[in-house]
Amino acid sequence: MSASAPPRVDVRAYACPMTYVKAKIALERLAAGERLEVWLAAGEPVENLPRSAAEDGHRVLAVEPLAGAPGAFRVVLEKGAGAAPEWP
Amino acid sequence: MNDERLERYARQLLVPGFGEAAQERLGRARVRVVGADAVASAGLVYLVQAGVGRLWIEDAEDVSPSDASGWLFAPSAVGSPRVEAARAVLAPLSRFVSIEPYPKGGVPTATLVFASSGPQALASAEAARRAGIPHVVVEPDAEGGALVVVPPGAPCYACARSTAGAGRPAQPGIAALSALGAAELVLMIANPESTPGRRIDLVRGVATARPTSRLPGCACGGPGAGAT
Repeated sequence: MSASAPPRVDVRAYACPMTYVKAKIALERLAAGERLEVWLAAGEPVENLPRSAAEDGHRVLAVEPLAGAPGAFRVVLEKGAGAAPEWP
Repeated sequence: MNDERLERYARQLLVPGFGEAAQERLGRARVRVVGADAVASAGLVYLVQAGVGRLWIEDAEDVSPSDASGWLFAPSAVGSPRVEAARAVLAPLSRFVSIEPYPKGGVPTATLVFASSGPQALASAEAARRAGIPHVVVEPDAEGGALVVVPPGAPCYACARSTAGAGRPAQPGIAALSALGAAELVLMIANPESTPGRRIDLVRGVATARPTSRLPGCACGGPGAGAT
């Protein structure tokens, strides 16, 4: 995986809780320290997803407007070492 | 997992440590439920909504008037076989779950016991122990009750079971106990190694858990029985 191109999940078409479910499953597939970029809609999704990710032990590296997509946001997460692992 | 399943199980997938692999494991599970009376009602609904793949219900009795005090049976179901009446209510809840009478010789991957008698509970739990599958035994009483959680290798139900009275009044609080029993089983199916053997007492909504211990000389502590 390239450090400059983290995997991306586009959940702009979804509402909570699916926004974080999609991100959570994508995070489960990463190793600690790897990054995930999430595209999501303004409002509840961008308010809730970073908080949920932080509560699960991930780092929120960026929350910013998504270039070229009015009303959308880009969130970059880094999987935390202490995040609850998916059961094998 | 497709979006339909993700949406269906979204709340469960948000539980820390519970993810896509755990949900898929649930979907492959074959759960035998012993007893389908009012006490079992909430637990049966929970198992269906959690997404176990196959639910095998074992109960030879008909729906009684007292069963209608639970969450599953309408008064109009009184007199009909419990298994069929339960199936008629549960099946429309999810197309992802197959609900059937327990087939003779069926090999479950987990068992949830709402037995109507102590001997039936012991026999059902012992069958699960011998098969090496996770099981939970629910023991209701008037104020709530207890459940015994038995992952493979843990002290058996005979070692851990309650010695209290075995009355089975169906009161509103029993639904919490029933659902808690199902929840404990779901967690064991999702990750059998994560759960210790324990007894959980639920009295008026307050749960108290303590580890179970093996009685001296019990067969569950024999060679190959696993860790305590």
